[in-house]
Amino acid sequence: MSAQAILYEGSEEAQEALNAIQTYKSPIDPSIKVILLFKAVGNAPVMKQTKYKIKAGRTFGHVLHLLRGLLNFKPEDTLVTYINQSFSPTPDDVVSNLFKMFATEGYLIVNYSTTPAWG
Amino acid sequence: MSTYGTTRHHPSQPPPSRVSTDYHTTLFRRLVWEGAVPLEIRVDPKELPANSDRGLECYFMQAPRVSYLPLLMPEIRRFLMDVVFDEAAAKNLKEEDWWFETEEGTLLKWHWSIGLIYDNHTISASVRVPSQAHSMSTPLRLILHLASPPTEKLLLSPSAESCKQAFMGQLKEADFIRWGNTKRITGLRKAEQDGLWEGIKDHNFDDFWRVASKVMPIVPSTRSQSPPPASMHSRPPSADNTAVPDRDGAYNVRSVPVRVYLPDGPVLQELIPPILEDGTLNTLSHFLTTHLPLLFPQRPPAPPPSRTNPNPQAPPAPELAFPLIQGVLTPPDSEVAWLGACLAGADGWLNICIGVSRG
Repeated sequence: MSAQAILYEGSEEAQEALNAIQTYKSPIDPSIKVILLFKAVGNAPVMKQTKYKIKAGRTFGHVLHLLRGLLNFKPEDTLVTYINQSFSPTPDDVVSNLFKMFATEGYLIVNYSTTPAWG
Repeated sequence: MSTYGTTRHHPSQPPPSRVSTDYHTTLFRRLVWEGAVPLEIRVDPKELPANSDRGLECYFMQAPRVSYLPLLMPEIRRFLMDVVFDEAAAKNLKEEDWWFETEEGTLLKWHWSIGLIYDNHTISASVRVPSQAHSMSTPLRLILHLASPPTEKLLLSPSAESCKQAFMGQLKEADFIRWGNTKRITGLRKAEQDGLWEGIKDHNFDDFWRVASKVMPIVPSTRSQSPPPASMHSRPPSADNTAVPDRDGAYNVRSVPVRVYLPDGPVLQELIPPILEDGTLNTLSHFLTTHLPLLFPQRPPAPPPSRTNPNPQAPPAPELAFPLIQGVLTPPDSEVAWLGACLAGADGWLNICIGVSRG
Protein backbone atom coordinates (compact mmCIF):
# COMPACT_ATOMS: atom_id res chain seq x y z
CA MET A 1 0.00 0.00 0.00
CA SER A 2 2.86 2.41 0.63
CA ALA A 3 3.70 2.28 -3.08
CA GLN A 4 0.47 4.10 -3.80
CA ALA A 5 1.71 7.22 -2.06
CA ILE A 6 4.54 7.64 -4.55
CA LEU A 7 2.17 7.66 -7.48
CA TYR A 8 0.55 10.88 -6.44
CA GLU A 9 3.37 13.39 -6.48
CA GLY A 10 1.28 15.94 -8.39
CA SER A 11 -1.72 16.56 -6.21
CA GLU A 12 -1.49 17.68 -2.62
CA GLU A 13 -5.16 16.96 -2.03
CA ALA A 14 -4.97 13.47 -3.47
CA GLN A 15 -2.01 12.83 -1.17
CA GLU A 16 -4.03 14.06 1.80
CA ALA A 17 -6.89 11.76 0.79
CA LEU A 18 -4.57 8.75 0.50
CA ASN A 19 -3.16 9.47 3.95
CA ALA A 20 -6.68 9.71 5.33
CA ILE A 21 -7.59 6.36 3.79
CA GLN A 22 -4.51 4.78 5.37
CA THR A 23 -5.67 6.12 8.74
CA TYR A 24 -9.15 4.66 8.33
CA LYS A 25 -7.73 1.38 7.10
CA SER A 26 -5.55 0.78 10.10
CA PRO A 27 -6.67 -2.46 11.71
CA ILE A 28 -8.89 -2.38 14.75
CA ASP A 29 -6.81 -2.25 17.94
CA PRO A 30 -6.32 -5.92 18.90
CA SER A 31 -6.78 -5.03 22.57
CA ILE A 32 -10.41 -4.10 21.87
CA LYS A 33 -12.58 -7.08 22.59
CA VAL A 34 -16.29 -7.77 22.69
CA ILE A 35 -18.22 -10.52 24.43
CA LEU A 36 -20.19 -13.09 22.48
CA LEU A 37 -23.08 -14.88 24.16
CA PHE A 38 -23.81 -18.27 22.55
CA LYS A 39 -27.34 -19.60 22.92
CA ALA A 40 -28.34 -23.07 21.73
CA VAL A 41 -31.57 -23.45 19.74
CA GLY A 42 -33.65 -26.61 19.47
CA ASN A 43 -31.58 -29.77 19.64
CA ALA A 44 -28.21 -28.04 19.41
CA PRO A 45 -25.81 -29.15 22.18
CA VAL A 46 -25.66 -26.76 25.12
CA MET A 47 -22.19 -25.56 26.20
CA LYS A 48 -21.07 -25.08 29.80
CA GLN A 49 -19.39 -21.82 28.99
CA THR A 50 -21.53 -19.54 26.86
CA LYS A 51 -19.65 -16.23 27.03
CA TYR A 52 -16.51 -15.70 25.01
CA LYS A 53 -14.33 -12.66 24.63
CA ILE A 54 -13.17 -12.11 21.07
CA LYS A 55 -11.11 -9.46 19.29
CA ALA A 56 -13.45 -6.91 17.72
CA GLY A 57 -11.55 -6.95 14.44
CA ARG A 58 -12.33 -10.63 13.80
CA THR A 59 -14.78 -11.65 11.11
CA PHE A 60 -17.95 -13.58 11.71
CA GLY A 61 -16.31 -16.41 9.76
CA HIS A 62 -13.85 -16.65 12.65
CA VAL A 63 -16.76 -16.87 15.10
CA LEU A 64 -18.19 -19.78 13.09
CA HIS A 65 -14.81 -21.48 13.20
CA LEU A 66 -14.52 -20.94 16.95
CA LEU A 67 -18.03 -22.23 17.58
CA ARG A 68 -17.48 -25.35 15.48
CA GLY A 69 -14.39 -26.06 17.55
CA LEU A 70 -16.21 -25.55 20.84
CA LEU A 71 -18.99 -27.90 19.74
CA ASN A 72 -16.57 -30.48 18.30
CA PHE A 73 -18.50 -30.32 15.05
CA LYS A 74 -17.13 -32.11 12.00
CA PRO A 75 -16.96 -30.16 8.74
CA GLU A 76 -19.99 -32.03 7.42
CA ASP A 77 -22.15 -31.20 10.48
CA THR A 78 -24.70 -28.47 9.82
CA LEU A 79 -24.32 -25.35 11.94
CA VAL A 80 -26.73 -22.47 11.46
CA THR A 81 -26.19 -19.23 13.35
CA TYR A 82 -28.33 -16.20 13.98
CA ILE A 83 -27.86 -12.80 15.57
CA ASN A 84 -30.69 -11.89 17.96
CA GLN A 85 -32.78 -14.85 16.73
CA SER A 86 -33.22 -12.96 13.49
CA PHE A 87 -30.70 -13.23 10.70
CA SER A 88 -27.50 -14.99 9.65
CA PRO A 89 -24.57 -12.65 9.00
CA THR A 90 -22.15 -13.38 6.14
CA PRO A 91 -18.70 -14.71 7.06
CA ASP A 92 -17.03 -11.43 6.03
CA ASP A 93 -19.11 -9.32 8.42
CA VAL A 94 -16.72 -7.87 11.01
CA VAL A 95 -17.57 -8.55 14.65
CA SER A 96 -17.05 -4.91 15.66
CA ASN A 97 -19.70 -3.84 13.13
CA LEU A 98 -22.13 -6.52 14.29
CA PHE A 99 -21.54 -5.54 17.92
CA LYS A 100 -22.07 -1.84 17.17
CA MET A 101 -25.34 -2.51 15.37
CA PHE A 102 -26.85 -5.42 17.31
CA ALA A 103 -25.36 -5.80 20.79
CA THR A 104 -27.86 -6.43 23.59
CA GLU A 105 -26.86 -5.30 27.10
CA GLY A 106 -23.18 -5.56 26.31
CA TYR A 107 -23.32 -8.93 24.52
CA LEU A 108 -23.51 -9.94 20.89
CA ILE A 109 -26.03 -12.78 21.07
CA VAL A 110 -25.26 -15.64 18.69
CA ASN A 111 -27.96 -18.30 18.46
CA TYR A 112 -26.83 -21.59 17.01
CA SER A 113 -28.76 -24.51 15.68
CA THR A 114 -28.30 -27.75 13.75
CA THR A 115 -31.23 -26.93 11.49
CA PRO A 116 -32.57 -23.65 10.06
CA ALA A 117 -34.58 -22.14 12.91
CA TRP A 118 -36.00 -18.77 11.93
CA GLY A 119 -37.54 -18.26 8.53
CA MET B 1 -41.97 0.48 -19.09
CA SER B 2 -43.92 -1.17 -16.39
CA THR B 3 -47.03 0.29 -14.98
CA TYR B 4 -46.23 -0.93 -11.50
CA GLY B 5 -46.71 1.78 -8.94
CA THR B 6 -48.58 4.01 -11.32
CA THR B 7 -51.49 1.65 -11.74
CA ARG B 8 -53.32 1.72 -8.48
CA HIS B 9 -55.92 -0.95 -9.09
CA HIS B 10 -55.00 -3.28 -11.85
CA PRO B 11 -58.09 -5.33 -12.58
CA SER B 12 -56.26 -8.65 -12.57
CA GLN B 13 -54.55 -8.05 -9.24
CA PRO B 14 -55.96 -7.72 -5.77
CA PRO B 15 -55.72 -4.20 -4.37
CA PRO B 16 -52.37 -3.67 -2.67
CA SER B 17 -52.41 -4.18 1.07
CA ARG B 18 -50.29 -1.07 1.57
CA VAL B 19 -50.30 2.36 0.08
CA SER B 20 -49.12 2.02 -3.49
CA THR B 21 -45.63 3.30 -4.13
CA ASP B 22 -45.48 6.82 -5.46
CA TYR B 23 -44.20 7.65 -8.91
CA HIS B 24 -40.86 9.16 -7.89
CA THR B 25 -39.87 6.31 -5.61
CA THR B 26 -40.76 3.80 -8.30
CA LEU B 27 -38.80 5.79 -10.86
CA PHE B 28 -35.59 5.70 -8.83
CA ARG B 29 -36.08 2.08 -7.86
CA ARG B 30 -36.47 1.24 -11.52
CA LEU B 31 -33.36 3.22 -12.45
CA VAL B 32 -31.42 1.23 -9.87
CA TRP B 33 -32.97 -2.01 -11.10
CA GLU B 34 -32.17 -1.32 -14.76
CA GLY B 35 -28.61 -0.23 -13.99
CA ALA B 36 -26.13 -2.52 -15.73
CA VAL B 37 -22.35 -2.67 -15.92
CA PRO B 38 -20.09 -3.93 -18.71
CA LEU B 39 -18.03 -7.02 -17.93
CA GLU B 40 -15.22 -8.59 -19.91
CA ILE B 41 -14.71 -12.18 -18.83
CA ARG B 42 -11.54 -13.96 -19.88
CA VAL B 43 -10.58 -17.48 -18.97
CA ASP B 44 -7.12 -17.65 -17.43
CA PRO B 45 -5.09 -18.64 -20.52
CA LYS B 46 -3.00 -21.04 -18.42
CA GLU B 47 -6.11 -22.99 -17.48
CA LEU B 48 -7.79 -23.25 -20.88
CA PRO B 49 -8.45 -26.92 -21.61
CA ALA B 50 -6.68 -28.54 -24.54
CA ASN B 51 -7.92 -27.65 -28.03
CA SER B 52 -9.82 -24.56 -26.87
CA ASP B 53 -10.42 -21.85 -29.44
CA ARG B 54 -7.99 -19.26 -28.12
CA GLY B 55 -9.17 -16.50 -30.40
CA LEU B 56 -12.55 -16.42 -28.65
CA GLU B 57 -11.77 -16.88 -24.99
CA CYS B 58 -13.22 -13.49 -24.08
CA TYR B 59 -16.88 -12.95 -23.28
CA PHE B 60 -18.49 -9.51 -23.03
CA MET B 61 -21.75 -8.89 -21.26
CA GLN B 62 -23.93 -6.21 -19.68
CA ALA B 63 -24.76 -7.49 -16.23
CA PRO B 64 -27.54 -6.07 -14.04
CA ARG B 65 -26.21 -4.26 -10.97
CA VAL B 66 -28.72 -6.06 -8.75
CA SER B 67 -27.63 -9.51 -9.93
CA TYR B 68 -24.95 -11.83 -8.56
CA LEU B 69 -22.09 -13.76 -10.14
CA PRO B 70 -23.59 -17.22 -9.53
CA LEU B 71 -26.64 -16.09 -11.53
CA LEU B 72 -24.46 -15.11 -14.50
CA MET B 73 -22.69 -18.45 -14.56
CA PRO B 74 -25.18 -20.34 -16.77
CA GLU B 75 -24.81 -17.73 -19.53
CA ILE B 76 -21.01 -17.66 -19.28
CA ARG B 77 -20.83 -21.42 -19.17
CA ARG B 78 -23.06 -21.77 -22.22
CA PHE B 79 -20.80 -19.44 -24.20
CA LEU B 80 -17.63 -21.24 -23.18
CA MET B 81 -19.05 -24.68 -23.85
CA ASP B 82 -20.56 -23.72 -27.20
CA VAL B 83 -17.77 -21.60 -28.60
CA VAL B 84 -14.47 -21.94 -26.77
CA PHE B 85 -13.96 -25.30 -25.13
CA ASP B 86 -13.30 -28.51 -26.93
CA GLU B 87 -16.14 -30.84 -26.04
CA ALA B 88 -13.99 -33.75 -24.95
CA ALA B 89 -11.59 -31.61 -22.92
CA ALA B 90 -14.42 -29.72 -21.20
CA LYS B 91 -15.90 -32.91 -19.80
CA ASN B 92 -13.46 -32.86 -16.92
CA LEU B 93 -14.34 -29.31 -15.87
CA LYS B 94 -16.37 -28.93 -12.72
CA GLU B 95 -18.33 -25.71 -12.42
CA GLU B 96 -18.03 -25.71 -8.62
CA ASP B 97 -14.28 -25.18 -9.10
CA TRP B 98 -14.76 -21.98 -11.08
CA TRP B 99 -14.02 -18.61 -9.51
CA PHE B 100 -13.34 -15.02 -10.51
CA GLU B 101 -10.78 -12.38 -9.77
CA THR B 102 -10.12 -8.94 -11.20
CA GLU B 103 -7.09 -8.19 -13.36
CA GLU B 104 -5.46 -6.72 -10.25
CA GLY B 105 -5.90 -9.98 -8.38
CA THR B 106 -8.88 -9.11 -6.16
CA LEU B 107 -11.01 -12.16 -5.44
CA LEU B 108 -14.67 -11.67 -6.23
CA LYS B 109 -17.04 -12.86 -3.54
CA TRP B 110 -20.07 -14.77 -4.68
CA HIS B 111 -22.44 -12.92 -2.38
CA TRP B 112 -21.60 -9.35 -3.45
CA SER B 113 -23.96 -7.81 -6.00
CA ILE B 114 -22.49 -7.03 -9.42
CA GLY B 115 -23.01 -3.30 -8.86
CA LEU B 116 -21.11 -3.42 -5.57
CA ILE B 117 -18.26 -5.34 -7.20
CA TYR B 118 -18.09 -2.78 -10.01
CA ASP B 119 -18.20 0.30 -7.75
CA ASN B 120 -15.59 -1.25 -5.47
CA HIS B 121 -13.33 -1.68 -8.43
CA THR B 122 -13.90 1.93 -9.48
CA ILE B 123 -12.86 3.30 -6.09
CA SER B 124 -9.91 0.94 -5.77
CA ALA B 125 -8.69 2.16 -9.16
CA SER B 126 -9.05 5.76 -7.96
CA VAL B 127 -6.10 5.32 -5.59
CA ARG B 128 -3.85 3.91 -8.30
CA VAL B 129 -2.04 5.60 -11.17
CA PRO B 130 -4.45 8.17 -12.61
CA SER B 131 -3.61 7.41 -16.25
CA GLN B 132 -4.51 3.78 -15.73
CA ALA B 133 -7.58 4.58 -13.77
CA HIS B 134 -10.75 2.69 -14.47
CA SER B 135 -13.22 4.80 -16.36
CA MET B 136 -16.92 4.39 -15.69
CA SER B 137 -17.62 3.24 -19.24
CA THR B 138 -14.90 0.64 -19.68
CA PRO B 139 -15.70 -2.95 -18.93
CA LEU B 140 -14.56 -4.47 -15.68
CA ARG B 141 -12.05 -7.11 -16.71
CA LEU B 142 -12.53 -10.38 -14.88
CA ILE B 143 -10.36 -13.45 -14.99
CA LEU B 144 -12.25 -16.72 -14.78
CA HIS B 145 -10.29 -19.54 -13.19
CA LEU B 146 -11.39 -23.10 -13.82
CA ALA B 147 -9.61 -24.87 -10.97
CA SER B 148 -8.30 -24.63 -7.38
CA PRO B 149 -10.78 -22.18 -5.85
CA PRO B 150 -9.41 -20.45 -2.71
CA THR B 151 -12.45 -21.61 -0.78
CA GLU B 152 -11.30 -20.01 2.50
CA LYS B 153 -11.32 -16.55 0.96
CA LEU B 154 -14.38 -16.92 -1.24
CA LEU B 155 -16.33 -17.76 1.94
CA LEU B 156 -19.36 -19.27 0.29
CA SER B 157 -19.85 -22.03 -2.23
CA PRO B 158 -20.51 -20.77 -5.76
CA SER B 159 -24.03 -22.18 -5.95
CA ALA B 160 -27.05 -19.99 -6.58
CA GLU B 161 -28.63 -21.59 -3.50
CA SER B 162 -25.95 -20.39 -1.08
CA CYS B 163 -26.05 -16.98 -2.75
CA LYS B 164 -29.80 -16.92 -2.11
CA GLN B 165 -29.28 -17.78 1.55
CA ALA B 166 -26.75 -14.97 1.90
CA PHE B 167 -29.14 -12.59 0.13
CA MET B 168 -32.00 -13.46 2.48
CA GLY B 169 -29.65 -13.02 5.45
CA GLN B 170 -28.66 -9.57 4.20
CA LEU B 171 -32.29 -8.63 3.63
CA LYS B 172 -33.16 -9.58 7.22
CA GLU B 173 -30.11 -7.86 8.64
CA ALA B 174 -31.14 -4.65 6.87
CA ASP B 175 -34.68 -5.07 8.17
CA PHE B 176 -33.39 -5.49 11.72
CA ILE B 177 -31.36 -2.30 11.44
CA ARG B 178 -34.41 -0.40 10.20
CA TRP B 179 -37.00 -1.61 12.65
CA GLY B 180 -35.31 -3.59 15.42
CA ASN B 181 -36.93 -6.83 14.24
CA THR B 182 -37.37 -8.87 11.08
CA LYS B 183 -41.15 -9.27 11.25
CA ARG B 184 -41.69 -7.73 7.84
CA ILE B 185 -39.68 -10.48 6.17
CA THR B 186 -40.59 -13.40 8.38
CA GLY B 187 -44.22 -12.32 7.88
CA LEU B 188 -43.95 -13.03 4.17
CA ARG B 189 -45.25 -16.35 2.94
CA LYS B 190 -42.63 -18.84 1.74
CA ALA B 191 -43.70 -18.29 -1.87
CA GLU B 192 -43.25 -14.54 -1.45
CA GLN B 193 -39.77 -14.93 0.05
CA ASP B 194 -38.78 -17.21 -2.81
CA GLY B 195 -40.35 -14.74 -5.22
CA LEU B 196 -37.86 -12.07 -4.18
CA TRP B 197 -34.95 -14.21 -5.29
CA GLU B 198 -36.77 -15.38 -8.41
CA GLY B 199 -37.36 -11.72 -9.30
CA ILE B 200 -33.62 -11.09 -9.16
CA LYS B 201 -32.86 -14.28 -11.05
CA ASP B 202 -35.28 -13.42 -13.86
CA HIS B 203 -34.42 -9.71 -13.60
CA ASN B 204 -38.11 -8.96 -13.31
CA PHE B 205 -38.74 -5.60 -11.62
CA ASP B 206 -42.48 -6.12 -11.17
CA ASP B 207 -42.14 -9.58 -9.62
CA PHE B 208 -39.44 -8.40 -7.24
CA TRP B 209 -41.07 -5.17 -6.12
CA ARG B 210 -44.54 -6.72 -5.77
CA VAL B 211 -43.08 -8.45 -2.69
CA ALA B 212 -40.23 -6.07 -1.82
CA SER B 213 -42.58 -3.11 -1.45
CA LYS B 214 -44.03 -4.89 1.59
CA VAL B 215 -40.59 -4.82 3.17
CA MET B 216 -38.82 -1.65 2.01
CA PRO B 217 -39.72 1.65 3.63
CA ILE B 218 -42.25 3.97 2.04
CA VAL B 219 -41.27 7.48 0.99
CA PRO B 220 -44.10 9.91 1.69
CA SER B 221 -45.04 11.31 -1.72
CA THR B 222 -44.89 14.93 -0.60
CA ARG B 223 -41.24 14.58 0.32
CA SER B 224 -39.73 13.37 -2.89
CA GLN B 225 -41.12 16.21 -4.94
CA SER B 226 -40.02 19.23 -2.96
CA PRO B 227 -36.73 20.20 -1.37
CA PRO B 228 -36.61 19.60 2.36
CA PRO B 229 -37.32 22.55 4.63
CA ALA B 230 -34.26 24.05 6.28
CA SER B 231 -35.39 22.96 9.70
CA MET B 232 -38.34 21.13 11.06
CA HIS B 233 -39.97 19.82 14.17
CA SER B 234 -38.71 16.67 15.76
CA ARG B 235 -41.72 14.87 14.42
CA PRO B 236 -41.07 13.80 10.84
CA PRO B 237 -43.30 15.21 8.14
CA SER B 238 -44.46 11.75 7.19
CA ALA B 239 -46.38 11.72 10.46
CA ASP B 240 -48.58 14.48 9.04
CA ASN B 241 -49.12 12.61 5.83
CA THR B 242 -52.06 10.40 6.61
CA ALA B 243 -51.50 8.33 3.46
CA VAL B 244 -48.34 6.74 4.82
CA PRO B 245 -48.52 4.52 7.87
CA ASP B 246 -45.95 5.70 10.41
CA ARG B 247 -44.62 2.28 10.98
CA ASP B 248 -43.46 1.88 7.37
CA GLY B 249 -42.19 5.35 6.57
CA ALA B 250 -38.60 5.91 5.42
CA TYR B 251 -38.25 8.77 7.92
CA ASN B 252 -39.42 6.63 10.81
CA VAL B 253 -36.81 3.90 10.66
CA ARG B 254 -34.46 3.56 13.63
CA SER B 255 -31.47 3.59 11.38
CA VAL B 256 -30.69 3.34 7.67
CA PRO B 257 -28.81 0.16 6.73
CA VAL B 258 -25.57 1.55 5.29
CA ARG B 259 -22.20 0.04 4.52
CA VAL B 260 -19.30 2.29 3.61
CA TYR B 261 -16.56 0.82 1.42
CA LEU B 262 -13.08 2.30 1.26
CA PRO B 263 -10.66 1.51 -1.58
CA ASP B 264 -9.23 -2.02 -1.16
CA GLY B 265 -10.58 -2.32 2.18
CA PRO B 266 -12.45 -2.16 5.24
CA VAL B 267 -16.20 -1.93 5.43
CA LEU B 268 -17.49 0.60 7.91
CA GLN B 269 -20.91 0.53 9.54
CA GLU B 270 -22.55 3.10 11.77
CA LEU B 271 -26.00 3.65 13.21
CA ILE B 272 -27.45 6.30 10.91
CA PRO B 273 -30.72 7.82 12.08
CA PRO B 274 -32.87 9.42 9.36
CA ILE B 275 -33.46 12.45 11.55
CA LEU B 276 -30.86 14.15 13.72
CA GLU B 277 -31.31 15.06 17.37
CA ASP B 278 -32.03 18.69 16.50
CA GLY B 279 -34.90 17.55 14.28
CA THR B 280 -33.20 18.22 10.95
CA LEU B 281 -32.96 15.55 8.29
CA ASN B 282 -29.75 13.58 8.24
CA THR B 283 -27.89 14.04 4.97
CA LEU B 284 -25.11 12.20 3.19
CA SER B 285 -22.84 15.18 3.78
CA HIS B 286 -23.57 15.21 7.52
CA PHE B 287 -22.90 11.50 7.77
CA LEU B 288 -19.61 11.66 5.85
CA THR B 289 -18.21 14.72 7.66
CA THR B 290 -19.13 13.11 10.99
CA HIS B 291 -17.69 9.65 10.38
CA LEU B 292 -14.95 10.27 7.79
CA PRO B 293 -13.82 13.82 8.65
CA LEU B 294 -10.34 13.31 7.20
CA LEU B 295 -11.83 12.56 3.79
CA PHE B 296 -14.85 14.86 4.02
CA PRO B 297 -13.65 17.87 6.04
CA GLN B 298 -16.12 20.44 7.25
CA ARG B 299 -16.20 23.76 5.49
CA PRO B 300 -13.62 25.99 7.21
CA PRO B 301 -14.97 29.08 9.01
CA ALA B 302 -15.07 32.41 7.20
CA PRO B 303 -12.10 34.71 7.91
CA PRO B 304 -12.82 37.70 10.15
CA PRO B 305 -14.22 40.75 8.32
CA SER B 306 -11.68 43.37 7.35
CA ARG B 307 -11.77 46.83 5.82
CA THR B 308 -11.14 45.44 2.33
CA ASN B 309 -13.48 42.50 2.74
CA PRO B 310 -16.30 43.38 5.10
CA ASN B 311 -18.41 40.28 4.26
CA PRO B 312 -15.96 37.39 3.93
CA GLN B 313 -17.23 34.06 2.60
CA ALA B 314 -16.15 30.77 4.04
CA PRO B 315 -13.73 29.04 1.68
CA PRO B 316 -15.08 25.80 0.19
CA ALA B 317 -14.11 22.54 1.85
CA PRO B 318 -11.36 20.78 -0.11
CA GLU B 319 -12.67 17.97 -2.31
CA LEU B 320 -10.57 15.02 -1.30
CA ALA B 321 -12.94 12.15 -1.92
CA PHE B 322 -16.27 11.33 -3.57
CA PRO B 323 -19.21 9.10 -2.59
CA LEU B 324 -20.49 6.66 -5.20
CA ILE B 325 -23.92 5.05 -4.74
CA GLN B 326 -25.17 2.69 -7.47
CA GLY B 327 -22.43 4.12 -9.69
CA VAL B 328 -23.76 7.65 -9.22
CA LEU B 329 -21.79 10.56 -7.77
CA THR B 330 -24.28 11.39 -5.08
CA PRO B 331 -25.13 15.00 -4.13
CA PRO B 332 -24.02 15.74 -0.55
CA ASP B 333 -27.45 17.18 0.35
CA SER B 334 -29.21 13.86 -0.30
CA GLU B 335 -31.24 12.71 2.68
CA VAL B 336 -30.04 9.36 4.01
CA ALA B 337 -33.63 8.22 4.58
CA TRP B 338 -34.47 8.85 0.94
CA LEU B 339 -31.26 7.20 -0.24
CA GLY B 340 -32.03 4.16 1.90
CA ALA B 341 -35.51 3.81 0.41
CA CYS B 342 -34.75 4.60 -3.23
CA LEU B 343 -31.08 3.82 -3.98
CA ALA B 344 -30.55 0.74 -1.82
CA GLY B 345 -29.62 -2.54 -3.48
CA ALA B 346 -32.11 -5.38 -3.82
CA ASP B 347 -30.93 -6.65 -0.43
CA GLY B 348 -32.01 -3.40 1.21
CA TRP B 349 -28.50 -2.12 1.93
CA LEU B 350 -27.29 1.31 0.90
CA ASN B 351 -23.72 0.78 -0.26
CA ILE B 352 -21.58 3.93 -0.28
CA CYS B 353 -18.25 3.51 -2.05
CA ILE B 354 -15.65 6.19 -1.35
CA GLY B 355 -13.11 7.07 -4.03
CA VAL B 356 -10.26 9.57 -4.11
CA SER B 357 -10.73 12.74 -6.16
CA ARG B 358 -8.00 13.57 -8.61
CA GLY B 359 -7.41 17.20 -7.84
